[in-house]
Amino acid sequence: MQHNNASMRGVCAPHLLSKNTPAALNNNTITLREVHDTPPGDFAIWFFIFAELLAFGIFFVAYAFARARNVELFNQSQQHLNIAAGAINTLVLITSSYFVVRAVAAIKQNFSRECARWIAAAIGMGGIFLAIKLFELYAKFSAGISLSTNTFYMFYLSLSIFHFMHVILGMVILTAIMLKARSGGYSAKSHTGVETGASYWHMVDMLWIILFPLVYVIH
Amino acid sequence: MSETFTKAMARNIFYGGAVFFFLLFIALTFDTVQTLPKRDHRENITDSVVRGKHIWETRDCVGCHTILGEGAYFAPELGNVYKRRGGDFIKAWIKSQPTGAPGRRQMPQFNLTDQQLDDLVSFLKWTSEINTSNWPPNIEG
Amino acid sequence: MQYKSQAVAKPYFIAAIGLFIGQILFGLIMGYQYVVGDFLFPAIPFNVARMVHTNLLIVWTLFAFMGAGYYLIPEEAETELFSPKLAIIMFWIFLVAGALTIVGYLAVPYATLARMTGNDILATMGREFLEQPLPTKVGIVIVALAFLFNISLTVLKGRKTSISLVLLLGLWGLAVFFLFSFYNPSNLVLDKYFWWWTVHLWVEGVWELILGAMLAFVLIKITGVDREVIEKWLYVIIAMTLITGIIGTGHHYFWIGAPEYWQWFGSVFSALEPIPFFMMTVFAFNMVNRRRREHPNKAATLWALGTGVMSFLGAGVWGFMHTLAPVNFYTHGTQITAAHGHMAFYGAYAMVNLTMISYAMPMLRGRSANSGPAQTLEMWSFWLMTVSMVFITLFLTAAGILQIWLQRMGSNPMSFMDTQDQVMLFYWLREIAGLVFFVGLVLYIWSFFCKKGEARFAA
Repeated sequence: MQHNNASMRGVCAPHLLSKNTPAALNNNTITLREVHDTPPGDFAIWFFIFAELLAFGIFFVAYAFARARNVELFNQSQQHLNIAAGAINTLVLITSSYFVVRAVAAIKQNFSRECARWIAAAIGMGGIFLAIKLFELYAKFSAGISLSTNTFYMFYLSLSIFHFMHVILGMVILTAIMLKARSGGYSAKSHTGVETGASYWHMVDMLWIILFPLVYVIH
Repeated sequence: MSETFTKAMARNIFYGGAVFFFLLFIALTFDTVQTLPKRDHRENITDSVVRGKHIWETRDCVGCHTILGEGAYFAPELGNVYKRRGGDFIKAWIKSQPTGAPGRRQMPQFNLTDQQLDDLVSFLKWTSEINTSNWPPNIEG
Repeated sequence: MQYKSQAVAKPYFIAAIGLFIGQILFGLIMGYQYVVGDFLFPAIPFNVARMVHTNLLIVWTLFAFMGAGYYLIPEEAETELFSPKLAIIMFWIFLVAGALTIVGYLAVPYATLARMTGNDILATMGREFLEQPLPTKVGIVIVALAFLFNISLTVLKGRKTSISLVLLLGLWGLAVFFLFSFYNPSNLVLDKYFWWWTVHLWVEGVWELILGAMLAFVLIKITGVDREVIEKWLYVIIAMTLITGIIGTGHHYFWIGAPEYWQWFGSVFSALEPIPFFMMTVFAFNMVNRRRREHPNKAATLWALGTGVMSFLGAGVWGFMHTLAPVNFYTHGTQITAAHGHMAFYGAYAMVNLTMISYAMPMLRGRSANSGPAQTLEMWSFWLMTVSMVFITLFLTAAGILQIWLQRMGSNPMSFMDTQDQVMLFYWLREIAGLVFFVGLVLYIWSFFCKKGEARFAA
């Protein structure tokens, strides 16, 4: 692993750069350029992130609307949800997002193996999320709950499964990125794919951070 | 650099999205097919009802009428006609077509036997008992 | 025309237009029956005219899709078609089978046709748009498979472009989903559930892939915009199509006995279905604005832009208006449905086929574009047909709103037949608009025979 003091300074504290170090100058330029760049990753992925947010946003609004018309039912059914599982999962996803942030930082300094490792860790956390979620859903299905039980459960199950599938998709994307990083396919100069995948994963995380309080907690 | 990636990325999003939603649709179909028995009273699908559906199809009733809102918009909704008019009216009506009223929309004479008429009525009765979430809005269909 | 075998597209396009004329003639008959109820009864009852009208629509669309495939695949794959002979044989089989089917509908009572054609072996008849006798349905499968085999092998032996791959995906999807037309359970709810796997997953699914590929092809040829750009946007558009349209199937599951969660899923996802059509419109206008050449075929450019706009209005906007469950509760099975259906089908599928024919026919006849006067005639026909379709849609929408008000709302609803009497004015207006449409179609035919002016030869 190559740690260049100047380059580290450039990433963490650009104002501490010494003008004499060529490497520092390089990092300074990169930092400045990023400030003026469009959002990280490809434009197409931002279009899809927008579409995803729109779809989930509409679901959340629909949930709020349905809840307003069925307050009693929603409050009652909500009490049967496993808040502990939900809370743990929230921590799990936030941690995984942190790992992804570290991965992006790593590739920006050309440490593609380290990047791959951070991504692997994020994927691992994703796996934990899925396992806890599966346990939760299995418990519900065993108790005879289905999409048709009542409107609250329809939303709870739909949102859960919809988000679940997005976590899987996110993990697939992260896996593809991890493999490419490990084989040296990314560099400090060229790592759009990493940022794209990272953006998608952060979106998946953010959706859960809205979903959890909305469906599990607020009453 | 990001330009050369974009078409491939768009293609991957297409394939990923298509597979994702196709799987979700299959899952929902599974759930639907399992839930249907509670809504369609299939225990009431007698041989007469089956024959009645066959008559409905081979006379192309859907070519003028709607049933559960689907079909042609030339003649009345028949999903709830059993509740609107009753079996006897339905049989008498079919037997007496065409009305021949000048300028009025005409229904053909199908020369159905009494058995066939009974079958068609049992099909329409079964249909009127499906849980359609309170559709249509009123008895007129 | 770069490859000799592209010539097989010509008979397909000619048959398509011929059947289109038939479709409109029967549409005019039906429109008249709406106002003079016993017109042509009992010789041609309404339901017989209707099945001729709708089946001709589907068959001319299929002929045009096949013509489009035979034209664009060799050019995209940069190699001759695998078997031009097979294409011609299939053309005649499809045309004769189709003609016999229409004759069957008109010549004998439907129940007799069913008995004669083995409906008792496997009962698939008597459902909307799927009225074809069993042998015809089997014939469609065979013709489709032969066509798919022919163009797929062509792509396999040549260059694989995104446009040809998307087109193949759409066409294979068309064939696969048609197979559901053979499944007809005696449980009406199940019957309806899977019927939509053919109809919805066709017109709001795989057919949009076909439309996108065709439009992209014509835009590349006419504007000269870089292929990479156009193909990237094609993928984005079709991604949005399937992402919204697959679960969007649920908007047909609101009131047929399916579980109630479909009211939520179907509403949310189908509300987003206009997005790909909006994108196609922006895409088409953008490409034309950024064009790198001035193609002499102005008519084809007009059709291409018109397809975007009309499909967005007809499928997107009119579709959106009645797609949310609380609204659909009142509009389901009314003239609103007919209004949307007409503009959507014309705007998307009739127009994209006319776009393709407009671009390809001159090429097949040895020139890059028709003469000025011929193109002017064609553009007049575009405006007449398109504007009259807008009016047809507006009149039926008005009829639908009034129908809902009188028949489905209030404490003293009117019966169906009484309501129909009340909206008669709109049906008269619709028929007049339909006649104007027909005039447009006549001009369109005439434009093929217009001898005035110099044809613009390929540069």
